[in-house]
Amino acid sequence: MSFFAQVPQQIVNGISLGSVYGLIAIGYSMVYGTLGMLNFAHGEVFMVGAFGGWLAMGLLLPFLSGPTLLLPVTVAASLTAAVVGVATERFAYRPLRRAPRLAPLIAALGVSMFLQNAVMLATGGRAKTYLTSAIVSPDAGVMLGGTFISFLRLMVVAVAALLMLVLDYLVRHTYTGKAMRAVAEDPEAAAWTGVSVNRVVAAAFLLGSLLAGVGGVMVGLLYSQVDFYMGFSAGMKAFTACVLGGIGNLPGAMVGGVVLGLLESLGVAFVSPVYRDVIAFSLLILTLVLRPQGILGRARGQRA
Amino acid sequence: MRRTVAVRQVAAVNRFGVTGLAVAVLVLALVATACTGGAPSGQGGAGGEPKGVIRIGAAGPYTGDLSKIGLDSLNAIRMAVEEANQAGGVDGYRIEVEVGDDAGDAAQATLVAQKFAADPTIVGVIGPMNSNCVNAALPIYEKAGLVIISQSATNPALTEQGYRVMFRVCPRDDAQGPAAARFIVEELKARKVYMIDDKGTYGQGLADQVEIALKELGATVTRGQIAPTDRDFSAILTRVRQEAPDLVYLALPNPAQAAALLIQARSMKIQTKFMGGDGLKEKDQLIAGSQGAAEGFYVTAIGRDVREVPEAAGFVKAFEAKHGAMSIFSGQSYEATNILIAALRKAGVKDGKVDRAAVRDAVAATSGYRGILGFPVSFDSKGDVLGGSIYVLQVKGPDFVEVKAYPIGGK
Repeated sequence: MSFFAQVPQQIVNGISLGSVYGLIAIGYSMVYGTLGMLNFAHGEVFMVGAFGGWLAMGLLLPFLSGPTLLLPVTVAASLTAAVVGVATERFAYRPLRRAPRLAPLIAALGVSMFLQNAVMLATGGRAKTYLTSAIVSPDAGVMLGGTFISFLRLMVVAVAALLMLVLDYLVRHTYTGKAMRAVAEDPEAAAWTGVSVNRVVAAAFLLGSLLAGVGGVMVGLLYSQVDFYMGFSAGMKAFTACVLGGIGNLPGAMVGGVVLGLLESLGVAFVSPVYRDVIAFSLLILTLVLRPQGILGRARGQRA
Repeated sequence: MRRTVAVRQVAAVNRFGVTGLAVAVLVLALVATACTGGAPSGQGGAGGEPKGVIRIGAAGPYTGDLSKIGLDSLNAIRMAVEEANQAGGVDGYRIEVEVGDDAGDAAQATLVAQKFAADPTIVGVIGPMNSNCVNAALPIYEKAGLVIISQSATNPALTEQGYRVMFRVCPRDDAQGPAAARFIVEELKARKVYMIDDKGTYGQGLADQVEIALKELGATVTRGQIAPTDRDFSAILTRVRQEAPDLVYLALPNPAQAAALLIQARSMKIQTKFMGGDGLKEKDQLIAGSQGAAEGFYVTAIGRDVREVPEAAGFVKAFEAKHGAMSIFSGQSYEATNILIAALRKAGVKDGKVDRAAVRDAVAATSGYRGILGFPVSFDSKGDVLGGSIYVLQVKGPDFVEVKAYPIGGK
């Protein structure tokens, strides 16, 4: 009986966690859509963004507090992540654009290790505390029956949903978005019609990294802590979300994230929480075996 | 492009011929000897030019999620070694620290052990720090006759297997377990305890010990587990809220993880007492890192905080001036290193070599060593430390305050 009593709470946990997975997954999906490559350094971009937000928070705390602090912190995190993401593309992946598929994958692992160790050295390996309470008190919220819905979790879901809508607009209606979809369809043909493939790829990295930076702040606020190690598991979860939703498909990444978050949270209501990752990665394997095109499938949604 | 450069180099070698190569090799050799010859004199020990070098290994988690605690220990080891070198080293030989990073991972710890065992210039090891690492590496050290002194591996089983090279300056979990259980039941009057561990040798071992002792005292125990890399605890905390225990016991080695858990517990409106083991007694990450959520948190500590030991005042001041706030095991690392150095001096250097067996015997013979831990250190026949007490402390404001002491062995 007590298991079922926790279900509503685990749904709340799952949706908020899942929307963060979704934010990170979009970056994976975009890069895969335009380049056909798996950017395994994306988790580290997210981690660097989280630290960018942490730095900004430390600098701004004497001047600002409350929800007004959220915007500059998020912007700082996004910009930090974007600089790192775009630089990675320019210096690590672009020179390998025509190399065999394995080369950029290995470069991605190298970038990932480089970023992890750089941040470890810069922070002395210490976890850094996000002063969540300076933005929104973590124990503020509404109690519905036995389920506690904190404003913090509501805020995380709202931010993710808002960004998803903005992104959808960008991809559907702007020139860059259309060019991105064209490159995803066929890079060569897109180049012939005058699309600059380099700029489109850079734009994909830029947008993906911006979202990862926002995700970094959200995770920092939710978990109240960031460390140099957080990118790895977050990256793997985002990758799983991506595959689950249909890799290359943007709404799919978001849907995949929320589904993964929900299944993880509900799963651990019934088995020990140590099996959280087992659930996530079993899901990855099952998806790859049974429905490789993912929930939304590549054919129906747009790749970009 | 690269190919043309290579061709040019080959052409150059041909032009200078064999003499050119020989000169190049000679220059390289000169540079190399200059480098190795120059280094020791730069250190400037009190005893003038050292006669040679002997080395001790430092095995611990210097990268990965425990790297903060690991690096603070390494700094303490290095400090002890520097001080010993300033006092003339061992029989005029300079001591060097060879660093072996195991990242808290048993597989890596065996690789470190193999490296140390195969190097005849290494005559003693401080660490490994994690119980799982000691457990995996111990057979290798035993075979090589290489003595190890762990500053923090508290799992009881480690010294129960008849290995001769294993020593530790920290008491075992089965000393910590009964003390924690007595405090929970007798002082806090808690009857229903929820325990969270991280599946590791330390966490699970400690949780087992506390659970056994709690059940003997008539309390009921529910166990839950998380993974060492978890930072989202909403799932397990939802369970805790459902169970509504009198106390939650955290058998976790990582204070940063515990701090995150405490903050999230507060944000889920869980109002119960929390307690943890010695690994969580860390001001910087647990108290400061939890933004006040650790207020009232209890920890058991194996031995007194070196900051409160008068004999340690000099060490604490020197360490914190150089490296900032120290972690829980820095003092024990410093003490373990000094015990090893004292043993090295007793074993002595003969014909430029130190006998590993003599070092092991000298460590075993350590008796009433008065260092910075606040009690005279001796080892029993298994290699476990004698003397000392288990302390219960509570977070009050920015610090841990001692609330109770249980002498070790005084069940």
